[in-house]
Amino acid sequence: MGESTGSFVRSHCVGTTAVIYASDYLNKLTGERIERECRRQLDSGCRALVIDFSDTELVNSIGISILLGIIDIAEKSGARVVFSDVNNQTIELFNMLGLTRHVALVRDEQEALTTLGSISSLSVPTTH
Amino acid sequence: MMNGSDTRDNQRRILGRVTRHEFVGRSAELERIVSQAGGSADPRGLLVLIAPAAGISELLRQAYDALFERRGEIVPICFAIPRADTTPVSTAIAFLNTFLAQYIAFRRDEPSLCHASLMLRDLLKLAPPSDYDWIEELIEGYELGRFTNDDQALVKFCLSAPQRVPRANGLPYLLLDIVGLADSSQTSKYSLDTQVMATLERSKQPFVIAGLRRHLLVAAHEAECSFDSFDIIRLERLAEEEARQLVDLAARRQLVELNEQTRDLLVQQFDAGPLFLSMLLQAAREKGIGLTNYLACEQLYVDELMGGHLYHHFTCLLDLAAPRPETRRALIRLLGETTASDQRKASFEAWRKLLRLEATELETLLAVLHVHELINWNGALVEASAGPSCWKDYLKIRFQLDVKNEPRALVVADMIAEALKRAPHTMATHYRRAARLPLRSLLAEFNSQLVPRILFHYDRFKESYRGASLEETIAGLDAETDLVRLPQAFHTAPYSAFGKQINLEDESCVVVHGFEGATYSDANQIVWIAVQVDAKLEVDRDLAEVWLDRIDGLAAEFGFPRVRILLISNEGFSETACALLEQRGAYGASRQQIELLAARLGEEPADRPVANESEFVAIWPMGGDNELLAANLVEQIARRSNFKPEAINQIKTAIVEACINAAEHSLSPDRKIYQRFRVDSDRLVVTISSRGVVPTRQSLDQGKKPERDFASSDERRGWGLKLIRSLMDEVEFEQVDDGTSLRMTKYLLKSSD
Repeated sequence: MGESTGSFVRSHCVGTTAVIYASDYLNKLTGERIERECRRQLDSGCRALVIDFSDTELVNSIGISILLGIIDIAEKSGARVVFSDVNNQTIELFNMLGLTRHVALVRDEQEALTTLGSISSLSVPTTH
Repeated sequence: MMNGSDTRDNQRRILGRVTRHEFVGRSAELERIVSQAGGSADPRGLLVLIAPAAGISELLRQAYDALFERRGEIVPICFAIPRADTTPVSTAIAFLNTFLAQYIAFRRDEPSLCHASLMLRDLLKLAPPSDYDWIEELIEGYELGRFTNDDQALVKFCLSAPQRVPRANGLPYLLLDIVGLADSSQTSKYSLDTQVMATLERSKQPFVIAGLRRHLLVAAHEAECSFDSFDIIRLERLAEEEARQLVDLAARRQLVELNEQTRDLLVQQFDAGPLFLSMLLQAAREKGIGLTNYLACEQLYVDELMGGHLYHHFTCLLDLAAPRPETRRALIRLLGETTASDQRKASFEAWRKLLRLEATELETLLAVLHVHELINWNGALVEASAGPSCWKDYLKIRFQLDVKNEPRALVVADMIAEALKRAPHTMATHYRRAARLPLRSLLAEFNSQLVPRILFHYDRFKESYRGASLEETIAGLDAETDLVRLPQAFHTAPYSAFGKQINLEDESCVVVHGFEGATYSDANQIVWIAVQVDAKLEVDRDLAEVWLDRIDGLAAEFGFPRVRILLISNEGFSETACALLEQRGAYGASRQQIELLAARLGEEPADRPVANESEFVAIWPMGGDNELLAANLVEQIARRSNFKPEAINQIKTAIVEACINAAEHSLSPDRKIYQRFRVDSDRLVVTISSRGVVPTRQSLDQGKKPERDFASSDERRGWGLKLIRSLMDEVEFEQVDDGTSLRMTKYLLKSSD
């Protein structure tokens, strides 16, 4: 499994699944960085996205709006999206804004990859 | 300032026709007039705007006596310009004479000189040595001017006489009653009233000018006075209690016998107007009539209208308005017919044709009637329904006598019968009014205050508080968390003011225009219509429906965009009536609920018991993720208040959203976010404010539930407020003039559920 931890968005690919790590505060700036990374991964041929929220403590509405945009983009590309390791407070917000009806929430990254059926021994590290 | 009752009782009566003790009502105005003389460093004028028949002369005389008694540097001069039949020159000469007489009386401390008929040269002989020279110069100047043909210069000379007093000898304080000038003619740049105003304004001496309110302001404008140099007070009719005292004292002074019933009738019949009340009591004394029953009162009243003081008062006004008999007769016809009909407004042109007058003649006529508030005239339209009820009775009599040529005896009999039949109704109306809730003043206090919603829902209130003691009810209301924000009322009026008759007294149906929410926008504008429904028991569904339909109809007629109906009944509403109110989106409350509401509206928020209250204030620059600083601060505060972690996260998110909203939408000039955190025993209240524009979405979002569905990307923005509403227990935009102020409340109890 290859992993990148650049100055902006941490991500790695597992087969055709990209795992992208959200930062501690998901706002406009960090949301747009995630969106850019997701676009990049999709353009690179990824067919599924896992956004990992294990570091995320606080999410604002702009951040959520950007996540919805990412789900849109992924749908249009025929890719699936899974959110992992989302804390209860953030789940509550996602529920309030109807986001959970359009994306699967799983316990952690491993479960996400299992869900997506894309566990692969090969991983390509990336940094962006 | 006036001293206590000892001074009042011992005060010499100089110009006053009654002792200070007998002078009832107007205490505040008297004190104001007396104190206006005080600050000689920056002398200012005081305009006293009087409602017709409100009475002014005795007020000024009392002020004169109080100031005379002080023996200070202020030299009071009181002068009433006589009504009509005088020229500006003769008025000015009378003023000069009065001024010198009162000045010398004050300087010599000889009040009797105020009443002496002395020529100017006689007064000179009485002048104290230190005043002799300037008074002699003044008289010589007057004598020189008297025999020139320049009347205007002479008038100006006489009016400016007080300015010639050497400063070391005192500061004249003019108390001028110009009510008489309202009758003379239309105000112009060269008329006496404007000359008086202009002269006094430039005198650098304190002064009071009292006149009819519709006249005085026009005169001040014509004289091109600067309103910065004036203070203004308004003299309305007496309060009812004061009017009762006035009648009691005047009757005692005039040796007229009366009782409480007749006293109260007279107060109601003359609408607490001191002038007319005094006239009637004077007539009773002159005729030796006791006013111990309604019959005696109404007989005297009709006598007065037929040929007494009241007759002369109104006849004088009619003669001034229409000096030619044929015009006067036509005017009586027109006024009589218009007052009796439903169509009380007519165009200026219609009046001109009906009275067969030139436009300028009609303007003069209308100006007199308008200034005395017997009609309302705005230039284009004439409304003839104005004036006190005794004016309407006078008109009726004149119409029957002069236009219909009915026998005098018949008119008198009809009028007495009518007055007698009306008297019990007048009193019944008064009693009902006195028992009514003061709806207009209550609703005027709606100032975006937050009150328990249950106060507007009789059924819920009954269920929760029936049988509870007052203390229990108040405690319960204090603990209510379902609150409703009242509108900010900006105009309240009885429904009758909208020209609609719905057979209700003024206080029974009140229309309040206001804004809900924080912004002055179309969406937030609302009209509350509150009606007190007469019913001995709970109002049933049928009666409630009648009222709702009625008010809805009237609201539609006036095109009120959003209406909130509040029906009030002493005993509340039946179950089915409550269901109907709920269904129609109307509020229904009992008298008790409204009284509780009134008590809460009167309370300052600080009066409410708050345990362990503390407040934190912070100001952050917008941007740079500074919302996180606010979130961290509130986390600390909430933790100390024992909020649970889940609730703390909710509060943090809400605050982040509020800060983002403020930063994103406000175009704030100072780019700052103002935060206030108030910790009460049971809640945390966070207020986030910023200057700048109010986002349009804000008003649209108010009251909406969050849309729990996917939305387009445009719609996604603006979710912040929806999130805040979901995360906090109460969210309210406070009324601020600039920018926005969002108040969010989280209850400890709810968050620990």
